[in-house]
Amino acid sequence: MSDDGKYKTQIIAVKQECSEANVDEIYEEFKRYDEEFLIPPEDALRSVIRKFQLASGKEETNFSTPQKIEKKVNRFSELSADDKNITIEVSVVSYTPRVQNVRGEEKQIAFGWIEDNPWEEVSNRDKWDFKDWGQHSNQLSPNSIVRLEGVSVNEWNGKKSININRSTRVTVLSEGDTTPIQISNEPSNIAKISNSVGFGSTIGRIMSLKADVIIKKDGSGTLDIFRGKIADSSGSITFLSWVPFTFEEGDLIKLNNISVRKFRDTPEINISNDANIELYRDSNFLSMDELSESSESSISDLRNGMRDITIKLQITSWDHRKFTAEDGTDRIVRSGDVIDPTGRCRLTAWCDFNPKVGDYVIINESRAQFWQGSPDLVVDNLDQITILSDAPWENIDPNNHWVDVTMEELSLGGSRRGIRISSTLVSVRKDSGIIFRCPDCRRVLREGICTEHGEMDGVEDLRLRFVLDNGISNASLLLSKDASEIFLEKTFEEIKIEISTLGHDGFINYLRKLTLSKTVEVKGRALVDEQGTMILAEKMQLLQKSVEISASKVMEKWGVEL
Amino acid sequence: MISNSGQRVRRQSAIRIFAQEFAEANLTERGTGEYDPAFVITKLGVKVNRALVCGVIERLDRREGDNGPSFSGTLRDPTGNHRFNVAPFQTELQLDIEELHARFESGDRFLMALIGKSNWFEGDEGGIFTSFRAEEFSVIDQETYLNWLIEASDATLRRLNSHERSLEADLTPESLLAVNVPRDLIEGTISARQHYQEFDSETYKLGILKALSSALGKNNLPEVENNRGVEKINDTSDVVSTEISPEDASVVIINTIKRMDSGVGVEYDVLVEACTIAGISRESAEDSIEDLRDLRGDIIEPRFGFFRLPGE
Repeated sequence: MSDDGKYKTQIIAVKQECSEANVDEIYEEFKRYDEEFLIPPEDALRSVIRKFQLASGKEETNFSTPQKIEKKVNRFSELSADDKNITIEVSVVSYTPRVQNVRGEEKQIAFGWIEDNPWEEVSNRDKWDFKDWGQHSNQLSPNSIVRLEGVSVNEWNGKKSININRSTRVTVLSEGDTTPIQISNEPSNIAKISNSVGFGSTIGRIMSLKADVIIKKDGSGTLDIFRGKIADSSGSITFLSWVPFTFEEGDLIKLNNISVRKFRDTPEINISNDANIELYRDSNFLSMDELSESSESSISDLRNGMRDITIKLQITSWDHRKFTAEDGTDRIVRSGDVIDPTGRCRLTAWCDFNPKVGDYVIINESRAQFWQGSPDLVVDNLDQITILSDAPWENIDPNNHWVDVTMEELSLGGSRRGIRISSTLVSVRKDSGIIFRCPDCRRVLREGICTEHGEMDGVEDLRLRFVLDNGISNASLLLSKDASEIFLEKTFEEIKIEISTLGHDGFINYLRKLTLSKTVEVKGRALVDEQGTMILAEKMQLLQKSVEISASKVMEKWGVEL
Repeated sequence: MISNSGQRVRRQSAIRIFAQEFAEANLTERGTGEYDPAFVITKLGVKVNRALVCGVIERLDRREGDNGPSFSGTLRDPTGNHRFNVAPFQTELQLDIEELHARFESGDRFLMALIGKSNWFEGDEGGIFTSFRAEEFSVIDQETYLNWLIEASDATLRRLNSHERSLEADLTPESLLAVNVPRDLIEGTISARQHYQEFDSETYKLGILKALSSALGKNNLPEVENNRGVEKINDTSDVVSTEISPEDASVVIINTIKRMDSGVGVEYDVLVEACTIAGISRESAEDSIEDLRDLRGDIIEPRFGFFRLPGE
């Protein structure tokens, strides 16, 4: 034992319980808990005693699963006074909430009547009292039929009743009386309706409007429609009117009973015969000029299916490609990479547009379509594009342009390229490792079979799959062969040898030891769809964080002092 | 009426949570659909379907069953113990957990990170006992553990802040949003506030202070909470008043051990029964036993299920 007398009291306590334990070993164990596991000796006492008891084979661990005997009945008459954990289907006759004083605390409980045999005539049912201790008011509406799992019988003065406990599971089998849903006709602002689908009402100024024609899919003719965009101080949204639209650009309108639907990932107002649109008067409402600035987009705002986009861009590459169209004519498509301070994307021009690398442009009325989850802005006519004489921002270096994003921004936003994110790895997916791809379409083969091309001789490839998670949002993370090689600091061949040595499960275990619950920084692009967010990493590295700095930041953020 | 856009089937995030907050939760939610996620909802209003927890391995038991071995264990963090288990059907985890079990049995103790899904069982008296079904785990180094302590402190402080804000608002999503309760905590806050009685959030703050102190290498923690219990014992007689508070549960437990311990400890069920007779609910009694054992160190459990006072 050390001379400093440290852990003396605790060592005595351990010796009392485990007399044969070696004092030096007890000391070492307390030291280890103290220094390695950060548990002070008074808190570690129980753990250390347990360890030495286990070592001497003294402790009789006795883990028995609690007996939970369920009793299923159809009628109250089958129940006795000491029955617990009962499952029964009943009809709720009444439900009366009440505040009751239980051992000095005010508790919200409820009482009422229930009837057994709920699917039969009332004359064939028995009625009992019940008490609800678990606030199940939402499921126990009068006249509903419910299945109660985990109730018990209570007997008082010879009268039996049912206790519905906090842990009781109540399943509604037949709806009872419900409160009518209040539908509000109050208009919502554009930001709010853009986050929703359904029916509603809003007020906005018409920023753009044009007549359009849709060719019916069945070839039976055409439909005249109107497309446009309205805006308020919270944002803008496009609309599609299936009925004649008699208003003009600049008009302030109130739209009642409109539906908001999603076209690809973009919300859009649909105006049909049921909608009611009227001019609205509000002298304080923002003018078109004021609104046009707020309705300008950035790359991070782009969503698949967006139309009527106004956006400023910096050209970082430009090229053109000739091809033969379906009608046999030769055509040229021009495209390149563009950036703004919020990210990077592609720009495609179906017109004779030939900018220089480094030019700044503003484009109007463009549309966004996504290719492999990455945004691609499209313009059709030269008059949609203006080259800017003044730079809207300081020149951005395209080779080192990574936009820092948080997990929340990613999950709430659209697909983006050029992002950098730091978060914690919480899962190593089991399909990480060597895969075989179809040589024709690069799809991953499953048991040697491509879903498109059938049985194929696959081409070997490597990928690592993880889940990034900050405790509030999460994203799946994919490292291709190149990114995996950089992260593991090994060549493909070296990794192959490692997998064959460790086995596939051993390799996954190795990855877990390397990464689980550790913070990483990832650079790459993000694909966001209804399944969630997927990040395709170009580079990933483990982040070394200073514990002192991180702890200080947390304490400062929440005003904590030690 | 405009409604939120359709619910996306997305992976549930791994909540950073200390043992105390999770163990004290007894509100659960399970959807009626076959694939609906199940949640444990804590007093601070977070719905836990999945969590990332860390701690030193405290216990790891192996049990043979008809379908193969299952494992149950506990990870200890500065606030208490996280219970977890690995089921026989989780064949992909069996090799790793067997290896850890062998290490544990040989007397080795180590820090672990575990990602688990919330699980619970209901005691005969209706008490809810929470645990995790392990999804993935790994032995970790101290630096990773320290970073987790900080992350879990940050997340708990965020929930404490949200809980305090919610006390000023009506229990509607709109009112809670108006007082800046984060969106991810709104549903859970409404359920928790409707279910749990008012509680003293200071105990959670103490846990955070312990964690942050550990992270910064300071173990001289405030002793306020520990002393409070001791003072109570000294000036309380065996007579138990009809107005029982959680603090009094500790007194009943300690007095019962004093009175009944003949050298081998007092059984768990005897302590719970003594509390029940004194008018304390089983749940409060169980919480108090855990609190006295894991947080205050006022009682010890030298044999599983038998409790003694330290030094006796």
